[in-house]
Amino acid sequence: MTSSSAPSRKALSKIACNRLQKELVEWQVSPPAGFKHKITDNLQRWIIEFVGASGTLYAEETYQLQVDFPEHYPMEAPQVVFIPPAPLHPHIYSNGHICLDILYDSWSPAMTVSSICISILSMLSSSTEKQRPADNDRYIKNCRNGRSPKETRWWFHDDKV
Amino acid sequence: MESDDDMHDANDLESVDEDFYSDVTGEVSDGGDAECDFEDDLSDESDEIVSRHQQNYTVLNETDIRQRQEEDISRVSAVLSILKIQACLLLRHFNWSVSKVHDEWFADEKNVRKDVGLLEKPVKMANTGEHKCGICFEVYPRNVVSAAACGHPFCSSCWKGYIGTSVSDGPGCLFLRCPDPSCNAAIGQDMINVLGSDEDQEKYAYYLLRSYIEDNRKTKWCPAPGCEFAVDFIFGCGSYDVSCNCSHIFCWNCTEEAHRPVDCGTVAKWILKNSAESENMNWLLANSKPCPRCKRPIEKNQGCMHITCTPPCKFEFCWLCLGPWSKHGERTGGFYACNRYEAAKQEGVYDESERRREIAKNSLERYTHYYERWATNQQSRQKAFADLRSMQSDKLEKLSDIQSQPVSMLRFIIDAMLQVIECRRVLKWTYAYGYYLPEHEHAKRQFFEYLQGEAEAGLERLHQCAEKELQVYLEAEGPIDEFNDFRSKLAGLTSVTRNYFENLVKALEHGLEDVGPNRQPTCTKTSSSTNTADKVKKAVKSRASGNGSRSAPATSSWDSHWMCEQCTFANPNSASACEMCEH
Ligand SMILES: [Zn+2]
Ligand SMILES: [Zn+2]
Ligand SMILES: [Zn+2]
Ligand SMILES: [Zn+2]
Ligand SMILES: [Zn+2]
Ligand SMILES: [Zn+2]
Repeated sequence: MTSSSAPSRKALSKIACNRLQKELVEWQVSPPAGFKHKITDNLQRWIIEFVGASGTLYAEETYQLQVDFPEHYPMEAPQVVFIPPAPLHPHIYSNGHICLDILYDSWSPAMTVSSICISILSMLSSSTEKQRPADNDRYIKNCRNGRSPKETRWWFHDDKV
Repeated sequence: MESDDDMHDANDLESVDEDFYSDVTGEVSDGGDAECDFEDDLSDESDEIVSRHQQNYTVLNETDIRQRQEEDISRVSAVLSILKIQACLLLRHFNWSVSKVHDEWFADEKNVRKDVGLLEKPVKMANTGEHKCGICFEVYPRNVVSAAACGHPFCSSCWKGYIGTSVSDGPGCLFLRCPDPSCNAAIGQDMINVLGSDEDQEKYAYYLLRSYIEDNRKTKWCPAPGCEFAVDFIFGCGSYDVSCNCSHIFCWNCTEEAHRPVDCGTVAKWILKNSAESENMNWLLANSKPCPRCKRPIEKNQGCMHITCTPPCKFEFCWLCLGPWSKHGERTGGFYACNRYEAAKQEGVYDESERRREIAKNSLERYTHYYERWATNQQSRQKAFADLRSMQSDKLEKLSDIQSQPVSMLRFIIDAMLQVIECRRVLKWTYAYGYYLPEHEHAKRQFFEYLQGEAEAGLERLHQCAEKELQVYLEAEGPIDEFNDFRSKLAGLTSVTRNYFENLVKALEHGLEDVGPNRQPTCTKTSSSTNTADKVKKAVKSRASGNGSRSAPATSSWDSHWMCEQCTFANPNSASACEMCEH
């Protein structure tokens, strides 16, 4: 499980706490369609369950995302991974790591968990074939020591999704 | 090319110090030696020497850089009728090329605005009411929030954090955009200076200044450690050698230390080779060797190769070959010269086991020969630098007092020292040149070694004069009459050596093209000193005779290793590609 190998993190800053509480309230009022936040008392790690959009390759399939927030969220991006089994997708590795630019270089503090969820869903929905990235095996091998996807130098596969 | 205009250079060369340099312009040919023809001596090259190259670069200090940057920004701002802050963003986007900004802007302003993030019509935030910060989602009165031209409001503490995160990531902050993911409005220095912390403002300004040099195709920082000058280079004519105001001379093309007469590619090859070899051998050029006679360790602290052991031994020997200095004449092929590795080896001058105490690998011996001489010249050069500094800082005034001469009259000493530094640099690189000169081009090799030997001898003589002979006048109680003789001697040596080295560089840069393997012997110029000419002839002959049995460097003989053909790194047999150069 990825959850056991998540990097040790510092507690959330006050700014991060305030902001996450606001996001949580907003989520409860209007969650992104198809997404469910599993309520825990851990503000720093969210577990989110969602169902693939109907009419796409992932329709009716249920997946879980694990979102870990750093001390200086939202100035720093959260770490977002699929809890295996991860969907078969050319940009998603079998260990749950996701190759999506907004999670790394293109993160902006004006983004939210909700906007991340929508991006991930749209990434799945636009996929035309269910398969792993070509370099899946090599990448998984390199991640064996519990490396966080945020330590990876991502080479974004393409920009159409 | 064959103009006679500059022939006086060659004449100078003879007249200043005939005795010493006449063999350079004199002929070496005995007609019987068909293979070797040294008709084309260096003076023939002198017609190509332009007295002083027109400088094709400008050294810039921080004030110059700021001023140029400011001028470029003002120009673009005036021509495009946009704010300076926008002009700055535009210039940064197009790598500070004013002409590129103009071209792109007038070709497609709309697209350029989009790429750079310059909005045509700024969006004003409402002046009243409450504004929700797009990052912390708190609601604030108008005076706490700010926005770029796009009008997306963020509170001042979120701006500070946003700018801080970006600036701490490095120069990418120069491309900062509005935090709103759907907006690409550029954030310029004006906003940084209002909303960023003091430290971030400073860093941003620093990156902006550096970018003006680093992202501009025509400018580079001087690579000397701690040097803050930059160099603006004009492409086209002339060499890449650039002399910074910090006194570092470097190649603008590859930013290695200036390396004429060898080209950038050879330098890169040589540097790679050095790191491979030093890894291989973990061998460091020792700064201490035992005195060949009394075996006490000797510290080489002077720049020249002539070493005298401390009393009571006082043995005088050559640092390079550890042979007695008294034998450094014809035996080693010229005055004071010791570059005759191959020949000396043939003659059994070296006691191999003694000489190569630490170096047992036969395959590296040839390289070691060149490397050691390359490195020794480098060290001598650094020593000469240090000497120059101490001369400029206090010795010159001392000398001026002792000899009752104004400091302005002592300029010749500084000139001599600068010449030594320059010659050490050239000489150093001739060893890399020699290393890569193909083994089979015998005539070229011989000619090269002859020229190098002469250069080395001349330099040793100049160095010795500027270092040791000067000492007498520095330590004197009062004025010495001979000081004026010393002046003309040193000034003469400086000028003669400068000419010689300039010619040497030209000859090597042209690949010694005048020396072909099958040239008919031509000869004729009469030498003013038959004596010297004979000497050279002999030296050349003795080297020529050593040729036939010169042993090619053995290929790798380590059992568990193979040697990379490209860089000679010894790789374990298990490696399929070279671990050093990936060959
Ligand atoms: Zn805020
Ligand atoms: Zn905006
Ligand atoms: Zn410099
Ligand atoms: Zn170069
Ligand atoms: Zn001794
Ligand atoms: Zn010697």
